[in-house]
Amino acid sequence: MTAISLSAIEKSFGTTSVLNGINLDIADGEFLTLVGPSGCGKSTLLRILAGLEAPSSGEVVIGGQTVNAVRPARRNLAMVFQSYALYPHLTVLQNMMTPLKLRDLSLTGRLPLLGPVFARGQYRAIVEQVRETAQILKIGHLLDRKPGQLSGGQRQRAALGRAMVRKPVAFLMDEPLSNLDAALRIHMRSELAELHRSLKTTFVYVTHDQAEALTMSDRMAVMMDGEILQLGAPHTVYNDPQDIRVAEFVGAPRINLLPGSLDNNGYARCGEIVLSRAATQGVVGSVSIGLRPEHLSLCEKGTPEALSGQVVHKENLGADIYLHVSVLNGSQRLVVRVSPHEGQGASFGQTVHVIREHGRALVFGKDGKRLDIRTAGTGNVAEVA
Amino acid sequence: MQTAKAHWWFVGPALFLMVVILLMPIAIAGALSFTSYSLGNPGAEFVGLENYEKIFTRSTYEKMFGATFRYVFVVVPLSVGLGLGAALLINSTRRFGDLYKTIYFLPVMAALIAMAIVWEFAFHPTIGIVNSTLERGCGSFLESWSWFAHGCERGFPLWLTDRDYAIWTVAFIGVWQGFGFNMVLYLAGLTSVPRELYHAAEMDGAETAWDRFRLVTWPMLGPTTVFVVTISFIRSFQVFDTVEAFYPQGGGPSKSVYVMMFAIYEKAIQQNLMGIGAAITVVFLAFVMFLTLMQRWIVERRVHYT
Amino acid sequence: MSEASLPATSSVSLPAFRFSVAETAKHAVLIVGSLIVLLPFYVMLSYSFKSPAEIMQNTGGFFGTQELFRDDYCIKLGRDVADCMVTPFIYNYTTAFEKAPLVRYLFNGVVVTASIFFIQVLVALPCAYALAKLRFWGREAVFGLVLFCLLIPVHAIALPLYIMLAKLGLTNTYAALVIPWTISVFGIFLMRQFFMTVPDDLIDAARMDGMSEFSIIWNVMLPTAVPALLAFAIFSVVAHWNDYFWPRIVVTGDRSLFTPPLGLREFKGDADGDNFGPMMATATIIVAPLIVAFMIAQRRFIEGITLSGMK
Repeated sequence: MTAISLSAIEKSFGTTSVLNGINLDIADGEFLTLVGPSGCGKSTLLRILAGLEAPSSGEVVIGGQTVNAVRPARRNLAMVFQSYALYPHLTVLQNMMTPLKLRDLSLTGRLPLLGPVFARGQYRAIVEQVRETAQILKIGHLLDRKPGQLSGGQRQRAALGRAMVRKPVAFLMDEPLSNLDAALRIHMRSELAELHRSLKTTFVYVTHDQAEALTMSDRMAVMMDGEILQLGAPHTVYNDPQDIRVAEFVGAPRINLLPGSLDNNGYARCGEIVLSRAATQGVVGSVSIGLRPEHLSLCEKGTPEALSGQVVHKENLGADIYLHVSVLNGSQRLVVRVSPHEGQGASFGQTVHVIREHGRALVFGKDGKRLDIRTAGTGNVAEVA
Repeated sequence: MQTAKAHWWFVGPALFLMVVILLMPIAIAGALSFTSYSLGNPGAEFVGLENYEKIFTRSTYEKMFGATFRYVFVVVPLSVGLGLGAALLINSTRRFGDLYKTIYFLPVMAALIAMAIVWEFAFHPTIGIVNSTLERGCGSFLESWSWFAHGCERGFPLWLTDRDYAIWTVAFIGVWQGFGFNMVLYLAGLTSVPRELYHAAEMDGAETAWDRFRLVTWPMLGPTTVFVVTISFIRSFQVFDTVEAFYPQGGGPSKSVYVMMFAIYEKAIQQNLMGIGAAITVVFLAFVMFLTLMQRWIVERRVHYT
Repeated sequence: MSEASLPATSSVSLPAFRFSVAETAKHAVLIVGSLIVLLPFYVMLSYSFKSPAEIMQNTGGFFGTQELFRDDYCIKLGRDVADCMVTPFIYNYTTAFEKAPLVRYLFNGVVVTASIFFIQVLVALPCAYALAKLRFWGREAVFGLVLFCLLIPVHAIALPLYIMLAKLGLTNTYAALVIPWTISVFGIFLMRQFFMTVPDDLIDAARMDGMSEFSIIWNVMLPTAVPALLAFAIFSVVAHWNDYFWPRIVVTGDRSLFTPPLGLREFKGDADGDNFGPMMATATIIVAPLIVAFMIAQRRFIEGITLSGMK
């Protein structure tokens, strides 16, 4: 059992608080992503887990043992750094040997020149282990090169290899793909996910890129301002965000938010439009109505509950076209995803009509929390009223 | 373009001065080293390799090389080692780092000739602060050290005027003066070591300070070390101020501190033997250039990682 | 406990791993080192305050007791004993200025270091600009020559330089003190490296504005190079204020040309037993300007002195 659990983690640098009471349980073998904008504390949390940073308070438990007082070297975790942090003076082979040498060899075995003589058997075993790992990562032919002679992607693999040779309890990855070019980054996503499946080891992955979180992880934790706003499977976080900040952060292009209000019956309305579902909590007041671009479509003039507006910008991505439509007398802008066929006709300045897919709107209260809305009749609204 | 020839106006003066002040003297030194030229004589006699023969056979010059190399091979390792040690210590303490840095750098700023005179006082056999401090230790546990006990009985060394101690004392002053400079270079080198490498080392299981030093610090300081060693060599080869201040004539007790720069000064300037002085100059230049070229070669070959 | 600034060598900030014993040991070593480093400075300052008797007997602590003592030289002049009683501190420092033309030496030092720096910049800056920003036939060759000349320590070729100056009849002049240092290949190299980082657009814009190449150097490049130039200035001034070897060779006898180090050396040569105090006062006065300047602008000084590390 090597589950990891962080409880009530707080961290502050001087007077600025970075983490405010984080609780997080990571199951054995899980791919968990910590995602959030820069400065949200996700890297600090990872470094606290690694032991590179000490929490101001709270407990880190790995495999049932509190490790707060255990130094990083003894936690049996491996880390892949954003800059890869390969030792520039050592070859890839030597880089990958380092963790094994430090763990398995005695002080005499680590001597610069004499070491390999004293501990010949162990050396051979270590080299063998490194070669195996290198084969898996397809960097067997690069073992004699130094990091300076490698491309970004190859360095990335070497860093992964250095983490993998040791067969650690968990891999900690701190934005490992952010230094790669766009095409390679997308390729590496699938490769990392495959690697996780074959290794069956826990991955804790930090990124600011919500796409990476959505594509790779079993569960993702969206962090903001030192708190975990929501923790769950990617589809849950995407489709069922519990906080307006989560809804805004996850998904590209961003979710459309329209200002609205709740009437006495709990129906959210925005201008002429009234949602068909009503809030169950019985709150009244201004709300935000969230509509994802893919839940909007173009429609004929005169369709009931449609919004009309002018096309102010057209983003053609090939497979999809995003139309930016200025609605509600130009006070709001909606992004609508349309197919290339539909979008072909739409041109700048043209008036279009936009209809929402029913049952998809998300309503957020003034405090940013998601409001539960149900179709009237099936819920228990009546009882509340 | 109106300024088509402008560059020659810009480069010209520098070029002219480089040739006249730096290159021509080398040629002159080379040429004179084959003669028995003296200033004031109308002509010079060609003597072939006689000057060089003298340098490599006469006992005076044997002493010169002995003193120079003794000095250099004490000062370079010690000032580099102490510079590195001080830099590592200062870098790892959380307080007063800047204060130590300032103190250790003071000797680099102070005119060596002035400090040499002060050291001469400090090392004065009877009224100097060094021996009077040592004498206070007499009768204490320090006497169990045989050298110390001997000093208490028969008097502590004369230091600068003692044939056995003179060169080491001068070398000590060289170390005292030079290690702060190396320390500052090492401190600069340390700041450019990426922090993530230490973190990676920690994650890889480097638990002791020694492991971290071996795995990260020392290799990453490679280029700095090559430079520091080279510059220490060149600076210590050129030692003159202290020697001249202590021993205006003759180069110390039985010529034990007769270093090369002083030899050039004594032979050529004091005794007007330009030929032999030029020959020493040529040998000296050969040493220094060889060392610098070695440094460049090593830097290009070995310690460039990226 | 401050977590914010971690020293680079101990990467881990966990308080549990810290031993105050280790920290204490480090400070102990560093303090012992500091004491040894400071020893001669202490001796110099302390002796410059003391009377000869106190120096001889090693009494009086740091400042000396400042008891009046009899100035024998004054007695020799036939003055009354009562008039010849002096305070050691005042005596040492006034004697330093009276016995030798110390003011003149300091003046010479300023003139020589200032003119060396001024000419170095005048020569090096245009050359560095041309090497960095102009394309012309032979540029690579000139730069190669600069790199070669970096190998030559000027002190090492002092002898042929001395012969050349002697042939020109220039020994014992200000010119002799300055000429060998007018060309600083290191300065050229340094400025060229700096100018390489200045965007070409800036120069092109200046050309579009109708500036001549000459005014580009002094009106565009010079202002951008101020930080590098300042560091170089410190490097140059420290080296030449403290230089002893070269003045020793080319200035013989003529005291009115002595630089401070030479003056001090001369003082030492003349010194009889009684003059330790004034001599230490002289040494203090000569060392003080740079030390004080260093204390005030430490960072700049360290930058300047370690410039040579930028190669």
